[in-house]
Amino acid sequence: MADSEMGEATLERKLAVYRNLDERFVIREERYKGQQFSHIYFMRLHHMRSQLQSLIPKWKPHLPVNTVLGLEEGKECIIVGTLYKHMKLKPSILDEYSKERSAIPLVKPHNFMSTDDHLILEDESGRVKLAGPMLAPSAFVTGIVIAVHGKETSEGDFFVEDFLEAGLAPQVDRPLDSREDKFVAFVSGLSVGTNAFNPLQFQLLVDHITGHLGDENEQRISSKIVRLVIVGNSMHISHGFFSGQTVAPKDHAKLTEPIRELDIFLTQLVAALPVDIMPGCNDPANYSLPQQPLHRCLFAGASAYNTFVSCTNPHHFELDNVQFVGTSGQNIDDLYKYSDAKDKIEFMERTLRWRHLAPTAPNTLGCYPYVDKDPFLIESCPHVYFVGNQEKYETRLLQGPDKQLVRLISIPRFCETGVAVMLNLRNLECHALSFSTNL
Amino acid sequence: MSSGDIKGFYRQKKKNSGVTKPSSSSSSSKKSKSKHYTGGASVGAPSAAQTPALVTRGGAIDLKEEYGDEEEALRQFDMDMKYGPCIGFGRLERWERAAAMGLHPPPHVREVLVGLASGSTARSSKFKCLWEGLV
Repeated sequence: MADSEMGEATLERKLAVYRNLDERFVIREERYKGQQFSHIYFMRLHHMRSQLQSLIPKWKPHLPVNTVLGLEEGKECIIVGTLYKHMKLKPSILDEYSKERSAIPLVKPHNFMSTDDHLILEDESGRVKLAGPMLAPSAFVTGIVIAVHGKETSEGDFFVEDFLEAGLAPQVDRPLDSREDKFVAFVSGLSVGTNAFNPLQFQLLVDHITGHLGDENEQRISSKIVRLVIVGNSMHISHGFFSGQTVAPKDHAKLTEPIRELDIFLTQLVAALPVDIMPGCNDPANYSLPQQPLHRCLFAGASAYNTFVSCTNPHHFELDNVQFVGTSGQNIDDLYKYSDAKDKIEFMERTLRWRHLAPTAPNTLGCYPYVDKDPFLIESCPHVYFVGNQEKYETRLLQGPDKQLVRLISIPRFCETGVAVMLNLRNLECHALSFSTNL
Repeated sequence: MSSGDIKGFYRQKKKNSGVTKPSSSSSSSKKSKSKHYTGGASVGAPSAAQTPALVTRGGAIDLKEEYGDEEEALRQFDMDMKYGPCIGFGRLERWERAAAMGLHPPPHVREVLVGLASGSTARSSKFKCLWEGLV
């Protein structure tokens, strides 16, 4: 609650109805029985294929749909399958055993594309190499399911004349009757525990959101913030501690100090408004997606409040019937390593059009070997899609062919930029909140 | 179907040969022999020309004891790509998954598996897929 200084009319914080929809990302009943990743690919193909089957008659109704094994040379048809992108530069575990170790160049950390990459389409019956200028390998990654129209050539390749992605999923209508402004604040990449973390800058953010900063006008704006979402990498535990070796007593403080410091800040926040915290790649959570919620015992102070919600990564929730889906950035960062786009927002658009949050999982992105589902499939298009731990703040309002409207937000790392993002639930407009301590 | 021919072929030989194998052969030895069997050179060989020595070298005699029509149906279910990969996944769970996906898996396969649920431990290997322990 934000009280005014004089003790006159108290400003009350606005409320929004929250529904946490992370259930499909929580690993509860799943048991590892030695299965491989083929099952998750099978579930993905089956689900996406049925979606594409319903779209193909509107796209090219007169052509037959074949399996890969049923291809006949020269006969025009449509095939549906999972794409595999063969990349020469993709690091492979087998390179360690190669005899000519010295000939292999040092792996470029940021991008593994090369001009030799080619695409292969695969379904349960077989695989076929895709040829032709229509499909540029740089825009695609392994793991997406598409339909291609073309014919088999004499060399045994499939010459592509056209292709169909599933496109944006159908969207539930957003309620349009809200008259008041309600804001959701997003912040990401706090990195408590590193040198880049500036406690004064973060304290400014905390004070602004809780309403301890500024005059009555400022406080009125802050009272409209209904929720804060912390999108991953809130702390940074040095990766040396993850090697599995015993931590020396003198190093214990390095492990626990960042967590305790973050807890102090979080307690101030949860006392004022509901907070969702998601794990990121540097947080003490599991590595593979979906990352499980950070444990309550890490936050001795903040977890005592019922406004503290520890969430999975990816995170799916609903606020006043507005659908939010977001990740801490691993899915988009992996796309960036294996494909090309003009900005991160374009990668986000592509994942929505492919109806899959993390198509490169499990190929290059760690993932749990599900047997009976693929939880990253996007069945209903969200209204807000956010990704954290990016270089800069970017946003775009994406319009779909079926009147879908999605706000795409790329949230920058707070420790580097001092920028948090505010989203207005009423009209899906977005603006940046910039905090600086440079005088 | 070639496996039908082979069954007929071995059935003949078993009557004539005097070799007896222990009936409770371990499941892995049964499976490794079956792997040899499906890809072996004896497939399609003319039945009359085979001598008993060649047949027993293949060790296919004891196959007959545990590899019946039920197992054949289960293996066909394993190998059917329509229901997805079978490795690392129990047969009954795979059947349930296929049913949940609306793929209409053959009901008699489920009857066989449920009927085996109360069977002896020697038959519990039927719940695991064809390639269990081999891949």
